[in-house]
Amino acid sequence: MRRSRSWRAVLATPVFAVIAILYAFPLYWLLATSLKSKAELYQTTLTLFPEAPTLQPYVSVLVERGFWVLLRNSVVVCGLSVLVALVLGLLITYPITRLEVSPRVRVGILNWALSLRFLPPIAIVVPYFAVVRTLGLYDQPQALIFIYSLFNLPFTIWMLKGFLSEIPREIEEAAFTDGASRWTAFRLVLLPLAWPGLFAAAVIVFTFTWSEFLFALILTSTPNAQTFPVGVQGLVTQFEVIWNDMAAAGTIALALPLVLMILARRYVVAGLTFGVVREK
Amino acid sequence: MANVTARPALSRVGAGRFTRQERLAYTMLAPVFGTILVIVTYPFLLAVVQSVQDAAGREFVGASNYANALANPLLYEALGATGTYAALVMPTEIVLGLGLALLVHRVVRSTGVRALLFVLATIPLVLPPIAVGVIARLIYAPGYGVLNHLLIVTGIVRDEINWLGQPTTAMPAVASVDIWQWTPFVYLVLFSGLLTVPREEIEAAQVDGASGWQQFWHIELNYLRPLVLLIVFFRLADVLRVFDHVFVLTGGGPGNTTQLLSLYLYRIEFKYFDSGQAAALAVMVLVAVSIAYSLVTRALPVERR
Amino acid sequence: MRRLQWAPALVVAALLIGACQPATPGGNIGQKPAKLTIAAVQGNEDAALKAVAPLYEQKTGIKIEIVEFPYDQLFEKLVTTFKANSPTYDLVMMDDPWMPKFGTDESLQPLDSTYGIKRDSDIPDVVYDVGTWPPPRGPVPPKAKGKAAHLIGVTIVGNVEMFMYRSDMGPAPKTWDEVKANADKNKKPNFWGYVVRGKATNPIVADFLPILWSFGGDVFDQNWNVTIDNAASLKAVKFLVQDLKAAAPPGSESIDAADRSRLMAIGQAYQSTVWPGEITEIVENSTVSQVKGKVSYIPMPAGPSGKGIGMMGNWLLGVPKASSNGQAAADFITWLTSSDTQKTYVEKGGIPARKSILNDASLNQKNPYFAALAKSLEAVPNWRPRTDQWNAVETILGTNLNAALAGLATPEDATKKAADQIRTLMKGAGY
Repeated sequence: MRRSRSWRAVLATPVFAVIAILYAFPLYWLLATSLKSKAELYQTTLTLFPEAPTLQPYVSVLVERGFWVLLRNSVVVCGLSVLVALVLGLLITYPITRLEVSPRVRVGILNWALSLRFLPPIAIVVPYFAVVRTLGLYDQPQALIFIYSLFNLPFTIWMLKGFLSEIPREIEEAAFTDGASRWTAFRLVLLPLAWPGLFAAAVIVFTFTWSEFLFALILTSTPNAQTFPVGVQGLVTQFEVIWNDMAAAGTIALALPLVLMILARRYVVAGLTFGVVREK
Repeated sequence: MANVTARPALSRVGAGRFTRQERLAYTMLAPVFGTILVIVTYPFLLAVVQSVQDAAGREFVGASNYANALANPLLYEALGATGTYAALVMPTEIVLGLGLALLVHRVVRSTGVRALLFVLATIPLVLPPIAVGVIARLIYAPGYGVLNHLLIVTGIVRDEINWLGQPTTAMPAVASVDIWQWTPFVYLVLFSGLLTVPREEIEAAQVDGASGWQQFWHIELNYLRPLVLLIVFFRLADVLRVFDHVFVLTGGGPGNTTQLLSLYLYRIEFKYFDSGQAAALAVMVLVAVSIAYSLVTRALPVERR
Repeated sequence: MRRLQWAPALVVAALLIGACQPATPGGNIGQKPAKLTIAAVQGNEDAALKAVAPLYEQKTGIKIEIVEFPYDQLFEKLVTTFKANSPTYDLVMMDDPWMPKFGTDESLQPLDSTYGIKRDSDIPDVVYDVGTWPPPRGPVPPKAKGKAAHLIGVTIVGNVEMFMYRSDMGPAPKTWDEVKANADKNKKPNFWGYVVRGKATNPIVADFLPILWSFGGDVFDQNWNVTIDNAASLKAVKFLVQDLKAAAPPGSESIDAADRSRLMAIGQAYQSTVWPGEITEIVENSTVSQVKGKVSYIPMPAGPSGKGIGMMGNWLLGVPKASSNGQAAADFITWLTSSDTQKTYVEKGGIPARKSILNDASLNQKNPYFAALAKSLEAVPNWRPRTDQWNAVETILGTNLNAALAGLATPEDATKKAADQIRTLMKGAGY
């Protein structure tokens, strides 16, 4: 046993080293580029370390280009999308996990949820644009909120189903026999137990909606509703790629979801198994 | 797990075919499910209507948009490119992700290191797609690309490699970005799956003298199989939708080598302004995907209860 | 207790409604609006616009909101906004090749008949022509034939594609053959004789058209027949993908304008075509350029046809049909293009179209390309074919040229494929 373990350890070290380089280096490059001045990017030789690190790109992105408005929009839109997705997800997973519905219905709904993910956005963006226009929601955050909730519903349903199935029905039934209504049982008994799953689903959905670009571009037209990725895209212009500002924007963009992920890692790890592999 | 057929008499309060529980369930499901169904199918119906109109959206042209779409050789080039992309990306991500998950699960014991790997793995997922595309451009671009710089400095190659301009290297370059971005996701899911494998079974197998490989093949794989299938579905769906980083990196070039399906659709809609043909393509893609999906789920049930 | 059940739902609903920001009110026609919204292209071309906008606010009290998008996204945005007939933008910035589509679709308000904007003699006629629909010169699309001509856009960026070379290293090339000869003569390690802007679709076509015309070829003839595969055109294609490519750095197939002006700015390129925007932003920008003062700008060199033909790439300002602030928008345009404002505009890095400014000696000192720009405008540069199908044509031509440049197809095959595809396209569009 010892021998085979050290054999694996020997293999592991170079593998991890390669991974560290492959993942840490592009991120380092992003961070380093975000601290460079424009002049430094126009030199004949590449510099691995910024020569005179400056926070000017960050100031330029947030203040001069006014991206903090877009950042705020992103937070609002993604936060509300998460909320709507969770509510809808619960409304769908509660019946199929806590109530007695036929397995065919349960499987059917789960499969339908999975199939939603197969919609290629580019194929439906134009009809959605027509719908949004008719409803008068063009350049309004609500349009994005509804669509993001919809697109992340499959994930939410699968994750919530996993967590909710974990909780034995006996606990709720005990509450019923104590005279609690279904809603009370849900609120006071089920919800606290399902909280880790909800949090994990919230963080993952937030992460996915945070970087969404295509719908944000098509369904908005001014900083009224534009989100951060739309602004970041704007730094790739026809005649110039504003590398340092782009890198700064990229670093800002990854900061918030990253922090959330770190905070929620234990729950996310549990939630990522989608409740498929369970044997109790 | 509740036994569905043995319903306690108490629940049989309501008359009719459904128990009270079922009626409550459907009452909860119906409005939500119904609304979502409408939200999803309405644009689909709009797309169908648009697909039988001309480019300006006025006259009825029957199936000619479909005929035009299918007659365009560029469509098949796009399908081929997408197929190549999927073939490069999916097996690699799954094999690498699985291998990493196993490696970390077996070798790394400290929770600190595991947590660090977790954080590293989530970073590619939270980057905006355009930032991923730009990083990729900084790596592969002619002239100032870091990759060529490093290869030349370490003496591995003598001249610059034209990554994005040669058909043989353009597709791998574009695919590598996808692999870089999504292998950590596969790793995360499968690693979490490995954590749910009961220790008793593993220890029992080790007592019986099973090798690491046998452990994997007979025990862990059983627990991972549904997850792997789920990942295959999700990644396949994503591959059909991929757009951003390819657009930034090559724009579909050189020629049409990296013109994936989503880029092709974009071109028809926003360069040719043929909304009729674009709608026809969208409808065909949606129908094809639905058919493929239902066939696969029938053959390999994902839900095991 | 029952009422509390709905509290969470009410909270969500309230949040959703609260997140709703009212769409910016456009104001009534005739009344002075509180603000004007301009959709502009992100990058160098709108820098001067952004810089002078506050002056208009000071003068009239009308706030100017500029919403920026990069080139491709701006076009998509305009297409979808016009399709929706949405009043989101009061003014839109447009690249001149987009004018035929917007003109044919009748997406813009006529500026001459509705708002009385007239031609100013200080601005070359060709600049007004590019903003007129149907076009006063050249082939007219069948759908636009016989319609009265109207001015639907006014130039605010007087872009004409020119040529740049390192004048500290050699004389000005008069013909494309000289370009090639000089390029070969000056080849050194890490120094390229000519940089080909070869990225697929728009970039490579923009780079190639002046060469095509200087060789006597063209995409269409006067009757919309496709001529990209005739002898003169083929010669031009061969010149690009064989002769010029040989002198160019590797990776031409993915090099865009940003890359080529960077190469010039860091002193690794000898010649290339260039847009004024790249000059002000990069090549003559002392913070990033190592060759400031060493580069000269001339109109396009001549080809076998005997003429060097530049290409227009003006950016125009127009008023969408759906805008309810048309008069205020037209007033802004008039103010922006007036002589006084243009002087400030130029100081802030803007690219003018007024002859008086381009020929001003003191301004020429600070902007070395003015003389070349004035000469290019005088020579009457050509413009991209005035067809509403131009985007598709450019995509077809650009993809095939890029394939030829990458060596995926021979020039003969590439041009034939492009010609066939364009013919099918134009036929399907009613030409």
